[in-house]
Amino acid sequence: MLGRFKRLWDAKPMKTHYDAVIIGGGLHGLATAYFLARNHGLTDVAVIEKRYIGFGAAGRNTAIVRANQRTQENLPLYKEALDLWPVLTRELDFNLMFYNCGNLNLAHSEAALKAMRLQVASAQFQGIDSRLLDAKECRELVPALDISDRPRYPIFGGMFHPPGGIVRHDAVVWGLARGAAKRGVHIHQGTSATGIGVEGGKAAWVDTDRGRIRTPRVLNAAGAYSAGLANRFLGQRLPISVLTIQAMVTQPLKPLLHHVVSSGAYHCYANQTLKGEIATGAHMDPWPNYTTQTTAHYIKHQAEAVTEFLPCLKGLKFMRTWGGLADMTPDMAPIMDGHSPAEGYYLDCGWGYFGFKSSTVTGKYMAQYMATGECPEILKPFALKRFEEHRLMGETAALVDYTANN
Amino acid sequence: MAFTITCPVCGPRDGYEFRFGGEDKGPRPEAADLTPAAWCDYVHMADSRPGVQKEWWVHRQGCGAWFTIHRDTVANQEVSLNLLEAAE
Amino acid sequence: MNRLKHLPTLRITPGAARSFTYGKHTFEGLQGDTVATALFANGVRVFGRSLKYHRPRGLYSLDGECSNTLMEVDGVPNVRTETTPLTAGIRVAAQNVMGRPELDLLGVLDAFSWAMPAGFYYRMFHRPARVWPLAIQQIRKAAGLGRLSPDFRMPGRFDEIYPAADVCVLGGGPAGLSAALAAAERGLRVILLEARPWLGGAFEYRAADDGDGVALHRKARDLAAAVAARPEIRVFTQAPAIGVYSDGQVTAFQRGGPDQSFDERYIEIRAAAVVVATGCGERPLLFEHNERPGVMQPACAQRLARTWGLLAGTEAVFSVGHDLGLEAAVDLFDLGLKVAAVADIREDGQDPTLVKALAQRNIPLLKGWVARKAHGGNRVTGATLTSVNGRFHRRLTCDLLAAAAGLTPATGPLTLAQSQLAFDPHTGYFLPRTLPKGLQAAGRLLGLESWAAVTASGRRAGLQAAADAGADCQAAIRESEAALRDLPGAVRGSKFVIAPGCGRKAFICFDEDTTVKNVDQAMAMGFDVPELIKRFTSAGTGPGQGGIPGHNLPLYVAQTGLSPDAHPRPTTARPPLVPTLLATYAGAQHDMSKRTPLHDLQVACGGRMERVGVWTRARRFTDDPRCRTEILNVRTNVGLLDASTLGKFLIFGPDALKALQRVYVSDMARMTPGRAKYSAMCNDDGCITDDGVVVQTAENDYYFTTSTARAGVTVEWFRYHTRYDGWCYHLVNLTDAYGVLNLAGPKAREVLSRVTTADVSNAAFPYMGYREMAIHGVPVRALRLGFVGELSYELHVPSSYMPALWDLLMEAGRLEGIRPFGLEAQNALRMEKGHLIIGSESEQRTTLHDVGLGFLWQREKADQRLVGAAALMQTERQPGRLKLVGFKMADPSGPPPRDGSPIVDARIRGYVCTARYSFTLKEPVGLALVEDGLAQEGARLAIYEDGCQGQLTHAVVTPYPFYDPEGRRLRQ
Ligand SMILES: Cc1cc2nc3c(=O)[nH]c(=O)nc-3n(C[C@H](O)[C@H](O)[C@H](O)COP(=O)(O)OP(=O)(O)OC[C@H]3O[C@@H](n4cnc5c(N)ncnc54)[C@H](O)[C@@H]3O)c2cc1C
Ligand SMILES: [Zn+2]
Repeated sequence: MLGRFKRLWDAKPMKTHYDAVIIGGGLHGLATAYFLARNHGLTDVAVIEKRYIGFGAAGRNTAIVRANQRTQENLPLYKEALDLWPVLTRELDFNLMFYNCGNLNLAHSEAALKAMRLQVASAQFQGIDSRLLDAKECRELVPALDISDRPRYPIFGGMFHPPGGIVRHDAVVWGLARGAAKRGVHIHQGTSATGIGVEGGKAAWVDTDRGRIRTPRVLNAAGAYSAGLANRFLGQRLPISVLTIQAMVTQPLKPLLHHVVSSGAYHCYANQTLKGEIATGAHMDPWPNYTTQTTAHYIKHQAEAVTEFLPCLKGLKFMRTWGGLADMTPDMAPIMDGHSPAEGYYLDCGWGYFGFKSSTVTGKYMAQYMATGECPEILKPFALKRFEEHRLMGETAALVDYTANN
Repeated sequence: MAFTITCPVCGPRDGYEFRFGGEDKGPRPEAADLTPAAWCDYVHMADSRPGVQKEWWVHRQGCGAWFTIHRDTVANQEVSLNLLEAAE
Repeated sequence: MNRLKHLPTLRITPGAARSFTYGKHTFEGLQGDTVATALFANGVRVFGRSLKYHRPRGLYSLDGECSNTLMEVDGVPNVRTETTPLTAGIRVAAQNVMGRPELDLLGVLDAFSWAMPAGFYYRMFHRPARVWPLAIQQIRKAAGLGRLSPDFRMPGRFDEIYPAADVCVLGGGPAGLSAALAAAERGLRVILLEARPWLGGAFEYRAADDGDGVALHRKARDLAAAVAARPEIRVFTQAPAIGVYSDGQVTAFQRGGPDQSFDERYIEIRAAAVVVATGCGERPLLFEHNERPGVMQPACAQRLARTWGLLAGTEAVFSVGHDLGLEAAVDLFDLGLKVAAVADIREDGQDPTLVKALAQRNIPLLKGWVARKAHGGNRVTGATLTSVNGRFHRRLTCDLLAAAAGLTPATGPLTLAQSQLAFDPHTGYFLPRTLPKGLQAAGRLLGLESWAAVTASGRRAGLQAAADAGADCQAAIRESEAALRDLPGAVRGSKFVIAPGCGRKAFICFDEDTTVKNVDQAMAMGFDVPELIKRFTSAGTGPGQGGIPGHNLPLYVAQTGLSPDAHPRPTTARPPLVPTLLATYAGAQHDMSKRTPLHDLQVACGGRMERVGVWTRARRFTDDPRCRTEILNVRTNVGLLDASTLGKFLIFGPDALKALQRVYVSDMARMTPGRAKYSAMCNDDGCITDDGVVVQTAENDYYFTTSTARAGVTVEWFRYHTRYDGWCYHLVNLTDAYGVLNLAGPKAREVLSRVTTADVSNAAFPYMGYREMAIHGVPVRALRLGFVGELSYELHVPSSYMPALWDLLMEAGRLEGIRPFGLEAQNALRMEKGHLIIGSESEQRTTLHDVGLGFLWQREKADQRLVGAAALMQTERQPGRLKLVGFKMADPSGPPPRDGSPIVDARIRGYVCTARYSFTLKEPVGLALVEDGLAQEGARLAIYEDGCQGQLTHAVVTPYPFYDPEGRRLRQ
């Protein structure tokens, strides 16, 4: 009987040398490890994880996936990521439970509709299905919506994006870990990176609390902890604010919401998981934090917000709330870079609250970057230099309110 | 967690009354001879380390004062300077 | 069902019948019943079906730790019937059943549980890929308890309060009551939260005594009365704590009713100190079919009888591991229940009085024995007991199996408050190893059991909390500690989890149908610590969260010896500790939109009001979305716009000019008295954040306006950017104190001159002039500006005069055809004039140069470390930026492109910011942000509108302003 329940990945002894060391057993780290092995034959790879894989945002996110971003630099990346879920499900032989329910994003003002028009048309221009709906069409899609004048921000319309949906985040973590381990990648849980060594301008080793590992390639993929590590290990300063973000679920119930619904004006999204819970979250406590504790303020705000546009949810109960960390950049776009400040040192961070959806494709291209040393074209716009060069990404139209700089 | 900040004017108040104003980076540099890198460092870059940092806050829903506190970003708690000095 | 009568502990009112419906039946319960006890009294035993296997489920505890008794009440799903008071006329229905709860067609699923091992979702349904979409639909249908209609509207009155106290006590048992009294005696203000409708905790229904002949329920009620008599103590009953945070913040909700002003309310407390005295529940015992209807916790059976007068069965078997379990057996026997046997996990250590009491009643006590299996389907019909070593078995007939492994402390509040818990082998509990500052724990949750010890520990905690809150009571604390030392300490507890030799259906989590086998499977796959097991098997993630598995899972995992956790480690608890309605969290749902002083007058004129940022404003005054008449009236006659939302500020003091120089890009030293200066602010990226006008009203004295959106942050902004300088200036936000009317149109002067004696001729009050004048005695700051491109006066007056001024002007302008205009008309008018709105013609990364306002930057101004200067220098000639351009359509007879439409070639090159059909120019015009390569006059823009299917429309870059480029109309 137990034979059918084999370990998904084995704990291997830690070696003193690897061809590549990845700091952080989150989605990005595991995906990169997987693609290093799968696409580039680089199997002598160690993933170093402080706690257990999926401990960070990988295990705390609400797993919304979509490809209707604002800029043309982002769109292709997210589109490829969306297309990857079924492919990886097959390839990993692990059901990632991609629930392709589509995302409806509500507009509560003329200005929001205008912003959506740009997003919708940009997506369409790139061959991605995205449509503008009026309020009535929104309600036809989501009968629970209140499209009357009662809410403080009445619904003007919305942006519907059929290819999006939700994925089971834990499944992605475990599936990638199993897939990577099968190809020879070592996953070292309960192991903290404590330093990065540089010799002659090149990355040379990673120190851990279980000893030193020599390696010519290091990826800093420690999620929200990346910026702090970069600073401590290499003195690198990054344009990142780490904020606590919370999410919560109601008690499960029979199908009620058939799409992901979100609203910028209310700082809020809601969707029903396959387990029947309504998951909701979105706005962040706007000051830097490394705590994953929750607040009274947030859950109350969330209840106020979500029941404004989905009033029937007042009859449900929240049963659990939790916190995670989001590393925010000033332009709401990630930083993917390499060879600075040391050759062979790679960085993949700044994924804020949107780095689940892109994790697999990022892993694919970061793996290519690490294996070849050459930055793939698709990642080039995400270089750190853009901040110094006054070329913010424009992923958000409005100013971001997380720093005092605006 | 709850969050309490001690405003120099109003005393201890709920943290949501305040707005964060960044790590303390010192006075504004002169613009004329700033390289893009130095400019970026002042404007955008931060240490973002877990632990105690000196940072700016404004009492937005109160007296409006800007002031600095020391805060432990791991516990999200204000740290009194006396305690800090004693620990050093 | 007949109720027991005349018990001093009853909480029901005999004779006060309350009728309600359950499915097709009409039942009667009594005043004082919960929905669950009323159903039970009417013979209901199967309350619902389990999530996965559709197993029948019944009453198990009485505090709602699991989903067994969640039901739909009046359309609200997942109501905890065990804690919901029965009210007359409610409609109750079972959940997750196909058919009736007793005969559920999906009950067959139970036979296929082998096909659903731990994490089976991850390993099934994806091969071949096409089955997955079908599987999703089935999974969704099967998942979830309860239904909610999309049209459901929650009835009831919801409210919120934010009380403060010196000490907040969680739990109204003897420990909490003693703590509250001790703190109150020191003169402190105390808030006490109790989840049940009455005080007394786990003592208020017990007939036993502590050897002094006084029944415990008497003592508990006397103590409760003493607390009720203290004016310093504010008691909230029916008010479970749901969150405990740092700095003494506690949240709770309270059930109200017809006698109160609310049906349920959210409570957020700030206290200087918190005492957690939440006591214990019973720890579930794991054996085959340990959740059959008829299996219940001993205290559940005891409270059914003592509080509600209901005997849970006729013949019972008890399987316990604690003295309270023995006491329940004795007590229930005395109330008329037959007890076939009592199995006690413990070989020894039982309270001798209880052992004697059992013997006197001829109840066999099997020491070192435990229930191994419950027999029966919808109801228990028997129980197999086994010796703990698994060697001997015995089968007994019964219709009630009262089973618990022991007690489990309600540590949720401690965990939430960041107390470190550690496993204590003596009690088998997770006990607080450290308590954060301002937090105290007391009573049974520390393992204490006797009345004296529990109350003494409460008293000590209350005094310590008083000290935490600043009271001087060290001597009393020392005394209370000494008193506690002389009393019996924590009692030994059992760590037993699962009966030997039980089969595949021993449930560690009822809500998720997680069996011990599932836990084994997860561990075999590498999920070997409780947090990961929870994730993989879902145990503890259902409606009751950790209520059932919370304590057993870590105990079990540690006992397997296969986990890296050699000692049990507590699983996390997360708020809310009790599932809480979103309606309750939302509370009163206060809405705080600002209205201008002219709100009602504009509505009376047909204004279509809209929320815009923090304000409610008039979008337009007719049905026409293009606002033709409003626009043309401004162009030909005169219009009136409520611009009260503009930011309005005074800045004065010796360093006021320095502050202005720091944030405004222009040289603010060069100002002419009586003239307004238009300028802009940038952030450190050189990106434009605001524009407005500044006037100097005296030496060191300025008045300025900001855009509506920036009004709220302007003071903060000035102070932030001067925070190191120690400059002396005062900044006063007059935004709400003043209203603004914009009187605009070629006939504006005629109208104005009719209401004031001031000279408003072009010579006396030219374009960009600033005048202070009186209109019928109302003091007015008047600015001659031209945002909409016409002769116009911005009249700033104290808010209270605004309605009067509006009426005056509307009356005075009747001949000229004055009409109000709204935001949409303003938007079209100003766009024709080429005036930008920040956020509309700019985005986050748009610099002053990009929108063509670079000329405002006077870089040679004296060193003031201008915000944005470095970036303005560095980006001035940077290629590849998005620039603001004007455009007209290649085919002027077509419609204008929709705002936001991208401009493309092979790539996206920019987008339309605002485009409108110009009623003045009789063709569409617009503004767009495009890459600099496309920004030259005459460049052809290809516009990709959403839904165009690749059919591009074309426009040509045209200089702007489109309307009155020479600006003659402003100056006329
Ligand atoms: C509440 C919440 C909701 C979200 N919702 C969504 C969503 O709906 N859609 C979406 O696309 N994204 C969402 N996200 C964002 C997404 O989860 C993250 O962007 C993404 O998981 C980050 O990448 P990662 O997985 O590599 O980081 P993580 O999962 O955080 O991985 C980083 C890992 O590094 C480890 N680590 C840290 N320091 C060290 C060290 N010194 N040595 C070794 N290991 C270390 C950590 O333990 C952690 O496991 C959400 C995030 C949160 C918190
Ligand atoms: Zn203050």
